[in-house]
Amino acid sequence: MRFDSFRHLLSYWAQERPDAPALRYESETRSFSELCEDVCKRAEELKRSGRSCIGVLADGSLSCVEEIFAANLAGLQIVMLDAMAPEPLLKTLIRYTDIDTLWGDGELCDELSPALMGGVKDGAGKLLFFTSGTTEQAKAVVLTDHSLCQSAWNGSAKLPLQPEDTLLCMLPLGHVFGFVCGLLWGLSCGACVALGRGARHYADDCDYYRPTAVSVVPLLLGFLLQHSCVNEELKLILVGAGDCPPQLLQAAAARGIRVSFGYGLTETSSGVAISVGGDPFAMEVCPDDRITLSDDGEILIEAPTCMMQGYYKRPDATREVLRGGVFHTGDLGRFDEEGRLHITGRKKDMLVLPDGTKIFLPEYEARLMSALGHTELAVTLRNDRPLLVFVGQAEEKTLREKLRPLMELLPRGQQLAGILITDEALPRTATGKIKRWELQKKVS
Amino acid sequence: MTRQEVLEKTKKVIHDCFPDMEVDKLQEDSVINTETAIDSMGFVLVICKLEALFDVKIPERQWNKLSTLGDVVDALWKRIEKK
Repeated sequence: MRFDSFRHLLSYWAQERPDAPALRYESETRSFSELCEDVCKRAEELKRSGRSCIGVLADGSLSCVEEIFAANLAGLQIVMLDAMAPEPLLKTLIRYTDIDTLWGDGELCDELSPALMGGVKDGAGKLLFFTSGTTEQAKAVVLTDHSLCQSAWNGSAKLPLQPEDTLLCMLPLGHVFGFVCGLLWGLSCGACVALGRGARHYADDCDYYRPTAVSVVPLLLGFLLQHSCVNEELKLILVGAGDCPPQLLQAAAARGIRVSFGYGLTETSSGVAISVGGDPFAMEVCPDDRITLSDDGEILIEAPTCMMQGYYKRPDATREVLRGGVFHTGDLGRFDEEGRLHITGRKKDMLVLPDGTKIFLPEYEARLMSALGHTELAVTLRNDRPLLVFVGQAEEKTLREKLRPLMELLPRGQQLAGILITDEALPRTATGKIKRWELQKKVS
Repeated sequence: MTRQEVLEKTKKVIHDCFPDMEVDKLQEDSVINTETAIDSMGFVLVICKLEALFDVKIPERQWNKLSTLGDVVDALWKRIEKK
């Protein structure tokens, strides 16, 4: 079913399947009619509050989901914030996005409240998701409930769930893949969405909720399989937001679980291509999207129903990637003879980690240079984890000590997992740019 | 319980989660996600098992700051002492 808005989605299922479970969180369950009623009631309160832009410190709970829907119905602009981000960064993001009220852990909200701003005038329908950068330069992508609903339909047209399915939502709602493929995908199909209970329960959420489908990032898939955390009823795993080693997909298939791989970006409201056949890396383009390749193989996307409005207050950055309705992804791909998309690499100076987060290298390296007072360095991946290549003489321990304050500000997956000290110069082009592929090849 | 016992039990939990790891070589200043095979998901597993073992909770917002084995032991020990 294609929905135009969150209101449309909620009211449709409240009418069609009023008593069916819509959301589960721990021992609580909301039917579709209860969810719709609660959300409408809360939306009235929010309308009366006079606020116009809410920052949601998303914890994935039932009340968090209800607050997001309610704020949207009340016409507030919603900014999805990562509750685990350091406070100084959160304050910067609050100021940047004009947030005038917060939802989340009371103590954290109190600490962040001095940063609150005056709100916005034209925020109705908008939801802002940050690109995976975890620095002050992170860009907020302006999406709408309309584009997110279209994206959910787009994916479910290729990979439908049944109303009797239970979709486990383990990913953070602050990331668009988690929001669309962990939440809206299930609700759009009239299925029950079981809201994961956070990182502490990664190992036992499948056993607790007994889902039939789950959306994960590659790192989480590896964890679930390695520690045998999948339940017998699980029949479908949607993997996205990062490269996935084939052996993981084979391990899932060996357990009789169908694995689909999705490709998309925050800027396109999540997935634009998805694998539905035997080869999980051969992806069919979703019905609302058109994908072409530039002369140098860059993936170009036209997604009129799902495309972002732009980066918040960053028209320059928007123009760089979105030209004439065509989004320039920075990813490289190819089509096979059956017209299915394969991802072959990245053009941008960016690393995509198995947990779905991204490292924007020039920015990341500039911070390392500043912390170390040394410019001849680069970051690449070794065993899928960030490695610092330091050219010059130094003690690793000293470097680590200097970098420690910076590392503490980063999510664990983005912290440097190794340091390689070398006398060998970095491979560079004639114009001085680092040859990323060559460096990667050298350290692998 | 002493801090040393917390350290030993922490090493044992790490060994139980990652049997291939040479836990004996771990020092207090060993950086948990670099000098060991523990990635960010593995770290979550270790912390959850330690929290259950010692019946304490380390707030998730603190997790990124637990860089070395000693940091983890300190965080646990601080909470055990308060009980």
